[in-house]
Amino acid sequence: MKNTYDFSWKDLGDLAEGRPNLGSETSVTVYRLMQFTFKDIFSKELGREKTCELFVKAGLLAGREFCRNVLNPALPFDEFVADLKTKLIDFKVGVLRVEQADLENLHFVLTVSEDLDCSGLPIFGETVCDYDEGFIAGIFKEYTGKDFTAKEVDCWATGDRTCRFEVKPIKV
Amino acid sequence: MDSTQALKAIGSCLALAMERGLGKNGLVFPVECKDAADDTCRNFCKNLEQIFAQMNETYRFAEALANGELKTEVSRSNIFAMPLKALQASLRHLTWQTNQVADGDLSQQVDFLGEFSLSFNHMIASLRDKESLEQRLKTITDVLGEGVYLVDTEGRLIFANPEAERLLGYSFQEMAGKMVFNTIHKQFADGTFFPPEGTQLVSAIHNGQVYNNDDCVFACKSGRLMPVSLACRPVITGGKLEGTVIAFHDITEQKKYQESLQTINALLEKQASTDALTGIYNRLEFSKLLTLEISRARRYQSSMTIIMFDIDKFKEINDAYGHQTGDSVLIDMARVVNANVRTTDIFARWGGEEFMVIAPGCALDQGIQLAEMLRLRVAQTTFSVPREVTASFGVAALRRDDTEISLTNRVDHALYQAKANGRNRVEAEDADA
Repeated sequence: MKNTYDFSWKDLGDLAEGRPNLGSETSVTVYRLMQFTFKDIFSKELGREKTCELFVKAGLLAGREFCRNVLNPALPFDEFVADLKTKLIDFKVGVLRVEQADLENLHFVLTVSEDLDCSGLPIFGETVCDYDEGFIAGIFKEYTGKDFTAKEVDCWATGDRTCRFEVKPIKV
Repeated sequence: MDSTQALKAIGSCLALAMERGLGKNGLVFPVECKDAADDTCRNFCKNLEQIFAQMNETYRFAEALANGELKTEVSRSNIFAMPLKALQASLRHLTWQTNQVADGDLSQQVDFLGEFSLSFNHMIASLRDKESLEQRLKTITDVLGEGVYLVDTEGRLIFANPEAERLLGYSFQEMAGKMVFNTIHKQFADGTFFPPEGTQLVSAIHNGQVYNNDDCVFACKSGRLMPVSLACRPVITGGKLEGTVIAFHDITEQKKYQESLQTINALLEKQASTDALTGIYNRLEFSKLLTLEISRARRYQSSMTIIMFDIDKFKEINDAYGHQTGDSVLIDMARVVNANVRTTDIFARWGGEEFMVIAPGCALDQGIQLAEMLRLRVAQTTFSVPREVTASFGVAALRRDDTEISLTNRVDHALYQAKANGRNRVEAEDADA
């Protein structure tokens, strides 16, 4: 057995064949159950900071793969965002909205309402969407070819009703 | 302060707020927590004081949102403001979307905002339809073999299709925003510039009138004045004049064709009315002009005389020297007589060696004088045959009851008399026998 695993989109399997009755969707509770139990175990094994870092990295990989396999990176920005918004709704990830888009400096402020990771959570007083941060940064990286950071500045878990992300390129 | 007193104070405060609203200062918690009689009451008051503060903050936050201050902030711990924060996020996004739409991004859709989503998405659908229509119209104007340009009410150019650019030699960028009266529509066909009051096209543009002109010129970039046919239609939106669309096409080839057609027609007309050998009027034209001159003489009650003459023994000339020489004699005869009649007289070849002269305004005696003078000139002329050439003349004046036929018959009779009486002479029919 290899010591590491390289993700491939094919590894998600053929859901039509594999789940002819239950289909391709599952409940948010189950998704969160997996994510928060991972957090629990990882944080105890690796510490909170490392856990967050790994979640961001995993999100980044997921965002890139999502962009490559679900979105069309060849579209102009406006159409790409419209497509992304539609796909995030179709996949029930959340309702993406753009508040600012500075195309010259590639600086964006996005919100995700009804977010898969956090909406409806109790107020923890801190942002929890680490995976989302990576996911958004991964999509922007795949679309632009540049490295991005997506920082969650507002979250349901901090008392907001929508997650707000500031997306910026990483200056080399 | 015991619990009952605290509750009474809070009750009064809330009753006042319910009656008069929150006012400028908002809800002011009426109890000093530290004065509370026991811990239970103190903790209760502290929580309630915090709720009062959050309600006041929520009220101010809602007020700011109502005023469109979308960057306003509220504390994260405010549990009442949470739905308003969602509203704030939606409004911020809608602001961005509105700007996107204004910049032409019609991919925007609003989701999960109830009736607002329906209205916004309906608006986008309408704009897409409009854009699609505009695209179709643009394609039509692009492929149209007709120059089309659009001006505002002042005459500033705001659109030109590729054919207009091609015909005028200007790119749209060169013409955009410029007054067409200073660029393409400024001169008459002869090159002179329009007077200050402009032209009918200028007036049509300013007043939003329908105007057509099949004989106009536009100044091209090269300086060439291109003849055009144009149609001008006002663009009226909501009862207000927005500008004018002018469609035009180059009629240079059409003009050339018309000019050549006119030349051909003039030539044909001349050929139809002229004797091919001598170049003077032919019999057909003479008959028309005789009718006209008779009418004129009758209308103005003026005299009119006609003279018929015939070259004496012309058959002998033809037989002796050939038809070519005979033709030369006819040409010379026409030239001699033409040089000696008045410009107002009408001279025609009647047929063979016979000629006719209409002398408007001449009574019989004047006609006889004219005929005598012509006879003399002919007799004195050296023709291109080695023999004397003379002519016999008949003269007849218009009578009151004359028709073209009767007048012609009488002059013919007079000519016959001149021939019968020895040739090279003038005989006349009486004016009113």
